[in-house]
Amino acid sequence: MRAGMDEKLIEFAALLRDNGIRVSLAETLDAVDACRRVGLADRAAVYAALRCTMVKRAADGEAFDRLFALFFSGLGEVIKQASQAVQRELALSEREFQELIDQLAQLLAAHEGELSPLARELLAADSARLERRIRDAAREIRRLFPAPAGGQYRLRLKLAELIGLRRLERELGEIRQLVEESGYDPLARARMGQYVERRFNALETILQRYAGGETGQDARREREAREQQTLREKNLYYMSEQELDRIKGAVAHLAQRLKSAASVRRRITSRGRFDAKKTLRRSLRWGGVPFVLRFDKRKKDKPQIVVLCDVSDSVRNVARFMLQLMYSLQDLYWRVRSFIFVAELGEVTSHFRENDVGGALELALNGAVINVYAHSNFGRAFRIFAEDYAGAVNKKTTVLVLGDGRNNYNLPGDQFLGAIRRRAKQVLWLNPEGRATWGFGDSEMARYALQCDVVEECRNLNQLYRVVDRLLAR
Amino acid sequence: MFASIDDVVTRFAAHGYIANRRLATVVYLATGLRKPVLVEGPAGVGKTELAKVLAQALELPLIRLQCYEGLDEGKALYEWEYAKQLLYTQILKDKIGDVLRDTRTLAGAVERIAREDAVFFSERFILPRPLLKAISSEHPTVLLVDEIDKADQEFEAFLLEVLSDFQVTVPELGTLKAKHVPFVVLTSNNARELSDALKRRCLHLYVDYPDKQQELAIIGAKAPEARRELAEEVVNVVQSLRKLDLKKTPGISETLDWIKALTLLNIESLDHEMVNETFDAIVKYEGDVRKAQEELKEYLRRARVRRADGSDRDLLN
Repeated sequence: MRAGMDEKLIEFAALLRDNGIRVSLAETLDAVDACRRVGLADRAAVYAALRCTMVKRAADGEAFDRLFALFFSGLGEVIKQASQAVQRELALSEREFQELIDQLAQLLAAHEGELSPLARELLAADSARLERRIRDAAREIRRLFPAPAGGQYRLRLKLAELIGLRRLERELGEIRQLVEESGYDPLARARMGQYVERRFNALETILQRYAGGETGQDARREREAREQQTLREKNLYYMSEQELDRIKGAVAHLAQRLKSAASVRRRITSRGRFDAKKTLRRSLRWGGVPFVLRFDKRKKDKPQIVVLCDVSDSVRNVARFMLQLMYSLQDLYWRVRSFIFVAELGEVTSHFRENDVGGALELALNGAVINVYAHSNFGRAFRIFAEDYAGAVNKKTTVLVLGDGRNNYNLPGDQFLGAIRRRAKQVLWLNPEGRATWGFGDSEMARYALQCDVVEECRNLNQLYRVVDRLLAR
Repeated sequence: MFASIDDVVTRFAAHGYIANRRLATVVYLATGLRKPVLVEGPAGVGKTELAKVLAQALELPLIRLQCYEGLDEGKALYEWEYAKQLLYTQILKDKIGDVLRDTRTLAGAVERIAREDAVFFSERFILPRPLLKAISSEHPTVLLVDEIDKADQEFEAFLLEVLSDFQVTVPELGTLKAKHVPFVVLTSNNARELSDALKRRCLHLYVDYPDKQQELAIIGAKAPEARRELAEEVVNVVQSLRKLDLKKTPGISETLDWIKALTLLNIESLDHEMVNETFDAIVKYEGDVRKAQEELKEYLRRARVRRADGSDRDLLN
């Protein structure tokens, strides 16, 4: 039972990780400790215990709640109820019931090898294993048949097949015979026989209830969780507008983290403003002689960000995503200047400031600022930026370029990017194309990469997560 | 120590803190597992109070470290009392003369003094700040690190080190290890995101504004002199104020201030011209006051309609 709980929590931690909540091994161990302490009987307490050990950001709370409800859902409860129902039907007390199970287990232990694991788990009332078995089977079915096909009747049959119900049916006869041939008194034998029968029926009830209404809905929720997951792996090129809408939250979250990446505080020693108070305090050690001067070290690096976003037709879909990122960044941090380009380059900072995200994206993409139906010309865009907006960049500025680097065989103009880089703190380039294709065809990425501090492939949301993580780690 | 989750709830209630089960579970686990608790949530929901009540319930002394920008080890951990050292040196001048009497050379004198320097860097001259106090205490303590988000990142890293080993090294004295691991409560207003490493070490508790029933219970515990009807009216208004877009959303402490002010002024119902004068207790900005007054007017209008004719709801709209 204990081991079952540990395994279950480890599995839960993995599920959380799959959904973007970072749970470390130490935290999982804490969760196990915490669960041992509060016990498993009180669902609310288990929830509180897991939440306080595994979720450390308020923002992750909602996702956790959803996954908790999903993972610790009705199935365990259904199995427990079924077990209780069997006990009631046999009119046995808790102790007698347990004795019966123990006796049967002893009897079957002699025939360990011949019985299927399902039979052993079922008759030993090992609800944790049983639950896992059903869950695994359900997951397998969903993997094989992503679209829910044939409704709950077929789902039930499939479940039955996968967990090995047919073999169990065949085994029933053998088990009955074992019971009959055992040395127990007739009353006990009859009880055991009944127990085996009822247990078998209970399993069918469990499957039916899992497949149908009551627990069917969390199968749906699980599928949704998986969809969200796949959405994060999905290539941005192929996302529908609705899908882009659904990842909006994730983008805002990322922008927040990107912001802190750009604003890592730099500690400057023996520079800054002279701090008389601290110096005096320090000098007390030497009887008031200020041997060591103290300076105000609290110098924050206030970053400025300039975003250049390619919105040409070839990256139309990705552009929506990138613009969303750009919008979130600007929303968070007002020292952001946003530019879009195709063949010309235009500033959209004020448009973004005055409109909500939908309106801002619309403005950027409908050609009000620049002609978006031209062929992209990075070289020209960089030249315009270097010439007209040089003032936007200084030593504190991080320049973020979002684009595929496909220049339609125009002049690459990488020297202009180089000029921008020399003025800026750093140039980051996120490319929505796979690294393998860089430099082929009209891609000038190889050339541009030389002029950047960081170049990252950023084809889906997960990669973007990784990029931000890496930037934060620098 | 607490025997169970319910034990936490009852003992906290005995000290006037209404804890929901989730909070109680976290407290129970923190004391059981000896892990620090990181309490996050908006201002004025009783984060600091939690640590105070924990200390009371466990009958342990509370040691508080208030964080602010620029807080450093010297103010958080320990400092040498230079003035006292100097004073002692002055007073002991004669004694020092005695010690040095039979030395002939300067080098000899320095050698002699060096042998005695442990006297000046002993625990007598150390000025323990909250962290060292908590670590060197003879009894278990509750250590409250308040508003950790206001401290600098470097301090956070330093705190992390202390919290993981509960020992500190004073170069002149050696390593001091805690005799009792203190119960640590950290609070944060989320002014900045705390480091993942720190969060990993702690149990995390998010405290939100209480719901209506809870808030009434809190008023009952904290301001028992307030009339029940008034309390209900106040809670209704405050709960609706929290839904508004205010610069500073009123917390529990503001609710309590307000109801205490009203009770003190003998105001029996919010339908009183003096109420407007007491708004300062609950909203702190000029713009917020205006919005709150609007909301109160609206609330009173509805209440009047409800009172006049409970069944005829059409009048409401």
